[in-house]
This record gives sequence, C-alpha cells and structure tokens, in this order.
Amino acid sequence: MADYKEAPLATRPRTLDPNDYFNLSQEKRRADEERAALRANLKRQYLTQLNNPSRTELIEDPALTRWVYARANPFPHFRPTFKTSLLGIVFGVVPLVTLYYIFKTDRDRKEAQIKAGTRDRKFNLAY
Amino acid sequence: MAGVGFRRWAQTLTKGRGVGISALLSGARAASGASKDSLPGPYPTTPAERAAAAKKYNLRVEDYEPYPDNGQGFGDYPKLPDRSQHERDPWYQWDHPDLRRNWGEPMHWNFDMYIRNRVDTSPTPVSWNSMCKQLFGFIGFMLFMFYIGEVFPAYQPVVSPAQERSDELFM
Repeated sequence: MADYKEAPLATRPRTLDPNDYFNLSQEKRRADEERAALRANLKRQYLTQLNNPSRTELIEDPALTRWVYARANPFPHFRPTFKTSLLGIVFGVVPLVTLYYIFKTDRDRKEAQIKAGTRDRKFNLAY
Repeated sequence: MAGVGFRRWAQTLTKGRGVGISALLSGARAASGASKDSLPGPYPTTPAERAAAAKKYNLRVEDYEPYPDNGQGFGDYPKLPDRSQHERDPWYQWDHPDLRRNWGEPMHWNFDMYIRNRVDTSPTPVSWNSMCKQLFGFIGFMLFMFYIGEVFPAYQPVVSPAQERSDELFM
C-alpha cells in the first residue's frame, strides 16, 4: 500500500494521510475545538427550534438561503475578463457558428445535387 | 418565492387603501425572512470585511477562503474543500441524514453535484495506476485479439465447389 496513488480529484484514505500522524500540534487541536464550538452552537439553535412544541412553521435554514441566493445571482459579481470572455465565446458563439456552417454547406451540397439530378431521391412516404 | 409575491399582491389589493398600493409600488419589503446582510455579497477586500463574511457563513476567520476574484460571479462565497457527501461519516447523527449535513452548515458551491446520488470523491479501494492498467490492459487485449481474428478468421463457410461456381455468376 505504500505506493497507493489516489485517483485525480478523489481523496486519499485517512489511514494513509501523513498529516494525521505527523503534523499534530496544539494549534490544530485548538482549531478543531473552535470548529466544534461553532458546530455545537448551530446544533443548539436547530434543536431548540426543532423541539419547540409550539412551533407551527418550517425551520428556515439561512445557509441554504445563502447558497440558493449565491447560485441564482452571480451577475452582480460578473466582470468581463479574458477567461470569462473566452468561456462565453467557446460555449456560446462557437457552437452556434460552426453548426450554422455545417448545416448550411451540407444542405447547399444536397440542393446542388438535386438540381443537377444526381441525388438518389427514392424515399416514398405513401408506399 | 412566487407564492409569497402573489400573497403580498392579494393582501395589498384587498386592503383597498392607498397605503397598501403605494407600499407595493415603492418596493418596500417586509421585515421577515433573511435580511440583506445575511445574504452573500461582493468579494471582501479588507480584513474587517473578511471577518464579517466568515462570521456570516459560520466559519472560522482562518478557515474562510473566498473564491478568487476573477469575475466569474462567486462574490464572497467561501471556497470549501471539494469533498463529496459520500465521504461524510455515515454513523453520525446528522440533522439531515440523507444529505449528511447539519443545519446551518455552509454548503459547497457545487453541493447539488456532491450529493450521494451523484459525484463521489471518496478514496478508491485500488490505486489509480492499478485501475488504469487493468482497464486499458483489458481493452487493449480485446482490441488486439479482434484484430488477429480479422486477419486469421477461424470460421470459413463450408461450400461445395459446384455451389461456389454458381455463386460467382450471381454475384
């Protein structure tokens, strides 16, 4: 297992991660405790609302609201740069233009063949 | 969202007073729901803005890392590690067990991609090199054998000499 190489974009198993064995320090421990404190606070808020016997409405999740809002409103933070312009051209303009040219030349070729009488038009719809 | 809008329309119109209609036309919102400062905003430039954004998203200031400001529309949304929900502890008591997520926890930008029905970034049981060798080895071997089969076909149709001669005429 020493030569285990994880797939690109996948994670390494925790038992093979050297940081779990070597880079343990007081700061890391304190950071983990701060994160646990944040998590516990959120848990307390949620459970208070959940177990409230006089609650009639749904429990609103502000993190979900923020996520939906962020995904639905990227335009205020959009700025035309080299990268965004390139992406826009590659995904918006290039397919349109190439498909137009492909279809136009193909149909023009077929039309020329029909006019010259060389096209095989044996398809019969009725019989 | 549309349901809320229609309800407001109906309420202000049925009130019938000028105050209701003018409130609707002036664009004033009710004080309920998420307030403006709890929603995502622009990229934070000063350390004070970063601290406020970290607090808004329930992250530690050291953990909060916004997406780089390259104009792609992220704003101040935090860049969380690209880990799928498959990797989360299946035995912990999550608030939402099927999503393996707690209430209020900041959601990854691509959360809907990382749910348990979709992309899985958990560690593979076999290493990447081994998987590549097995897959491409098998495909390569099969392609090679089919090519050999085309060059040296094993099954020839058995036909008598008389039938072969008459077949040639009607080719």
